[in-house]
Amino acid sequence: MTGNFLIGLREGLEATLVVVLLLAYLKKTNRSELNKRVWIGVAAAALVSLGFGALLTFGPRGLTFEAQEIIGGTLSIIAVGFVTWMVFWMAKAARGLGTELRAKVDGAAAAGTAGIIAVAALAVGREGLETALFLWAAARATGESWEPIVGAGLGLVTAAVLGVLIHKGILAIKLGPFFAWTGALLIVIAGGVLAYGIHDLQEGGIFPGLNSFAFDVTAIIPPASWYGVLLKGIFNFSPQTTWLQAIAWVAYVIPVVVLYFRRLKGSSAQPSDAVKSSQTTNQSAVAHAN
Amino acid sequence: MKTFKIALPLALVTVVGVTGCTSNSAPSVASGSAAAAGSAISVSSTDTACNLSSTESTSGTLTFNVKNEGSQVTEFYLVASDGNRIVGEVENIGPALSRQLTVVAGPGEYIAQCKPGMSGDGLKMKFTVKAGASGSADANRVTLQEKAVANYQSYVAQEADALEAGTEKFAAAFAAGKTDEAKALYPSVRMHWERIEPVAESFGDLDPILDAREADLEAGQEFTGWHRAEKDLWVTDKAYTKLTTAERQQIADGLVTNTKELVKRAKEVKFTVDALSNGSKGLMDEVATGKVTGEEEAFSHTDMWDFAANVEGAKKAYEDLRPLLKGTNDELDMTLSSRFAALEKLLAGYKKGDGYVLYTELSQPQVQELSAAVDALSEPLSQLTSEVVK
Repeated sequence: MTGNFLIGLREGLEATLVVVLLLAYLKKTNRSELNKRVWIGVAAAALVSLGFGALLTFGPRGLTFEAQEIIGGTLSIIAVGFVTWMVFWMAKAARGLGTELRAKVDGAAAAGTAGIIAVAALAVGREGLETALFLWAAARATGESWEPIVGAGLGLVTAAVLGVLIHKGILAIKLGPFFAWTGALLIVIAGGVLAYGIHDLQEGGIFPGLNSFAFDVTAIIPPASWYGVLLKGIFNFSPQTTWLQAIAWVAYVIPVVVLYFRRLKGSSAQPSDAVKSSQTTNQSAVAHAN
Repeated sequence: MKTFKIALPLALVTVVGVTGCTSNSAPSVASGSAAAAGSAISVSSTDTACNLSSTESTSGTLTFNVKNEGSQVTEFYLVASDGNRIVGEVENIGPALSRQLTVVAGPGEYIAQCKPGMSGDGLKMKFTVKAGASGSADANRVTLQEKAVANYQSYVAQEADALEAGTEKFAAAFAAGKTDEAKALYPSVRMHWERIEPVAESFGDLDPILDAREADLEAGQEFTGWHRAEKDLWVTDKAYTKLTTAERQQIADGLVTNTKELVKRAKEVKFTVDALSNGSKGLMDEVATGKVTGEEEAFSHTDMWDFAANVEGAKKAYEDLRPLLKGTNDELDMTLSSRFAALEKLLAGYKKGDGYVLYTELSQPQVQELSAAVDALSEPLSQLTSEVVK
């Protein structure tokens, strides 16, 4: 029961977080009317994943292990690209908000809304196939025992509840630090997704170095423990990280964080009192995030 | 733009989905000894044990039905025995869940591994995949393998027939004391032998009788066969006593009788692709150890005929196997074809009339050049087997 609950929780969190942050952003910028697009993306990804999962589980043909890893890995890396784009789009929007009235939605960023569906779809889709395969296996076991599906379901519900709480918590942040926080969080999440995607491709035999670990702390943070699950679910942290993953994570997160905060700072080109205060909080957020 | 962004990941899923597919047809569960290809191996992963219904199988598509009968989340891996390549894995098998792993595996040693709790080394056990009968591996490759073997088999039969006919002629001339005719026949008939030398050598009882060199004779072995005749034909040394007519007849009869037996057996040999590729490599080793050193034909010095024939035989095996490299290792294919071509070009320079120059006419730098070309070919050739058995 616990085992399946934790898998559901982990997979749920992995799929939820980007979506939660995306919704929070839309809410903060008074563009909640675009929420529908997020849900379209989520629904499309969920349906495709479940459909594929069902087909692969019950259909006449399965997917080779390499193909599964390649799909998961490639989608993860594409997702990182989109999330990065979103973070900078938010930074740009933040600049617009700093210089103009909040109620007035900047026209420049409006074009970017087209990517919302893609971000939402990729956030769910990259983990979707794996989750779907797990869920169908749980569903198939119901003839013998209801426990797996109940456990998995509770895990997913818990992930959703945590998602809502994170969403609320993030919304409670004042507008100024909000962008710094959500942006930084997204970059760290995206870094984890990148490392995860690289690991998939290492397992799929596309990248080398599967067994050269930068560190292995499975003894301290067992992947099956609740904190291991949360770290994995939120940051895609793997207690057994290969060199290639570690290098990719650092090479992505550090420059992107630097660029991102430089971009945010640039938003205060025409200073006003409100912006000044937001700038200082931004900087404290930098120190915090690092 | 919008549609493109959505379409991209979906298209990716579709493409990989189509190309990365494997059969899912519910295979029957095997128990006891080796699981036949197409049947599933059931794996029970508990917190402390990893039980497989069978630890060996035949190559091709293998299916593992993994059931987690423990209390922790588990994973199941099939890893190549060097530990560096994951052949397949299923993660996220929650307690009481079953997941299926389908892999395509070639013959070899593997490690099957359950990882309850998803950490540590897990529970490992050896898993052996044996060369499968046809229909087990990728059907397309099996067809190609069968074709390669069939082509080479008919080549062996053809060369064996030519060897038999040639040997009869040579033996007749030799026995009749027609020295010039016998000398002319000797190197060209032997080419049929040299082309299929790994096959001929595989008959441990016949090879020494037919092809032993005087220098290599073991205690108690009689000096007979081709090289006995060679010595008698070419050595003019006063210290050497020529064979009598009766003795020549005896050698000639032995050649014919034993060759007939060898030809009969060569035609019955059932080849496999690894025998072809190993044979090809074996032929190049023959060249390196015997021919390029001039040891094979100590009296006639017709080593270059043997050299050329060995290369022809090796190339024939490689060419029959080539379709198996296409698309799987084009690089190796390119290397082999260019190195064969380079060696052939070099050999062509030593042609003289219908045959070749004598080994004694080669200069030391020429021998070194030939030797280098042989080595350059042998090295990539040693990789051929692992590529074709897949």
